[in-house]
Amino acid sequence: MTEVGGGRRVVVTGMGVVTPIGHTVSEFWASCRRSQSGVGALGGFPLDDLKILIAAQVKDFDHKARLRHYKRDKIILHADRYSWFAAAAAHEAMQQAAIGAFADAYRAACIIGSGAGGLVTVEAAYRDLFIHNKRATHPLTLLRIIGSSAAAHVGIEYGVRGPTFATCSACSTAAHAIGIGRDYIRHGLVDVAIVGASESVINYGTMKAWQAMHVLSPEGCFPFAKKRNGTVLAEGAGVLVLESEAHAKARGAKVLAELCGFVMTSDSRDMVNPDIDGPSEAMRLALEDAKLPPTAIDYLNAHGTATTINDRNETNAIKRVFGKHAYAMSVSSTKSMHGHPLGAGGGIEAVACLKAMEESWVPPTIGLDEPDPECDLDYVPNVGRDRKVGYAMSNSFAFGGLNAVLVFGPPPA
Amino acid sequence: MDEVATKIIDILKKHMKEPRDDIGLATALTDLKIESLDLAMIVFDIEDTFGIEIPYNANEEAADFKTVGSVVDRVRSLIASSGAAAAKA
Repeated sequence: MTEVGGGRRVVVTGMGVVTPIGHTVSEFWASCRRSQSGVGALGGFPLDDLKILIAAQVKDFDHKARLRHYKRDKIILHADRYSWFAAAAAHEAMQQAAIGAFADAYRAACIIGSGAGGLVTVEAAYRDLFIHNKRATHPLTLLRIIGSSAAAHVGIEYGVRGPTFATCSACSTAAHAIGIGRDYIRHGLVDVAIVGASESVINYGTMKAWQAMHVLSPEGCFPFAKKRNGTVLAEGAGVLVLESEAHAKARGAKVLAELCGFVMTSDSRDMVNPDIDGPSEAMRLALEDAKLPPTAIDYLNAHGTATTINDRNETNAIKRVFGKHAYAMSVSSTKSMHGHPLGAGGGIEAVACLKAMEESWVPPTIGLDEPDPECDLDYVPNVGRDRKVGYAMSNSFAFGGLNAVLVFGPPPA
Repeated sequence: MDEVATKIIDILKKHMKEPRDDIGLATALTDLKIESLDLAMIVFDIEDTFGIEIPYNANEEAADFKTVGSVVDRVRSLIASSGAAAAKA
């Protein structure tokens, strides 16, 4: 199946999400269409002396119902919440892709990352040991914590016997996982890959750590707005099923889109302050990888974290790459609705790009009553709108200056 | 059956995929379809319930744990020795 030069085309045949504004793709997208915010009062654990009291949490997630189809993986219900989210999103994506069993399980990959793995389990275990003087941690503590558990659970359930591991690159984790899966398929290492990321780290210790960084907003997530004053932590998962075009065609799969561009760059400069060169080069090279001119992009799902620095820097980087077209395309941050799910962001946002293409409708940046004068692009303020989306780009820019950009296009003719 | 046995059987049932009501002291653990991870969780629960520590290594054959009755006996003796240790302290 490998073409000369190893440049096989890679398509998307399934997608799944768990987000604060919907536990499935259809619920998530319906919420985007309603400009719904998932940000609310922080809860689920003692807040004690926390000062930031909001977050975008996944509420009423019934893991037993959602994961009742899991058969091969016997302990998924005992896993950490981050693995539940990944398992649920993967199930949705695999259902859509309609892959019963892999033709060659060794040519299937499962790359599902997480920025921090089972951090909620870590805190609970340490509370047991250090505060409650428990003699031992729960026997599954170790397996729950490991950052590759979500990938392993999903890989076991679907019988993946090829490359199975997690990526870990803070807010670019999902984009890195998706892109690496794309590259494995493109270069002929595997034919199909379950890719994405999951995150569930909202607890007392995480809130304290983020609070100490002074980058969280006490009010809400308002990307590109004059009033923005930080990001809002969220949780969730976003998973795609990727296949080589030939593999998808051979089994008569419905192709949702082509994953035609992917590039990773690193600012190599600062842990927190982004640079304009790293993000710009990632976007420029992703277009080059997709063999597209900048004018081909109709919709750009921005990293758009609502921190002062990111939104200005990202805006400037977009202008540098797209020139005048920066003002003609639609740029939005869906984080305004689903919050910042850290490592899972790029997975959920990839789904937003795919849905925008499928329904010719671009999702909004909500809370954008008055833009920052230095952020002057068309951010699709407050309500989404109809727009034909031929090609969509998704930006992920992480702490440490770790950048990953994905470009999606229509199914190959 | 005494309290120790009843509690242990309840713990076993809690960790079984398909709990049964016919578990007695003579029931072999191999008949309960308990897998290695389940066993680690069962040991943890028993230790927590009775405030004891069961010397157990997942890498070794657990000779003490052939039947439900053998587990109950082992737990009883551990309770007795931990009680003795507490009395000495």
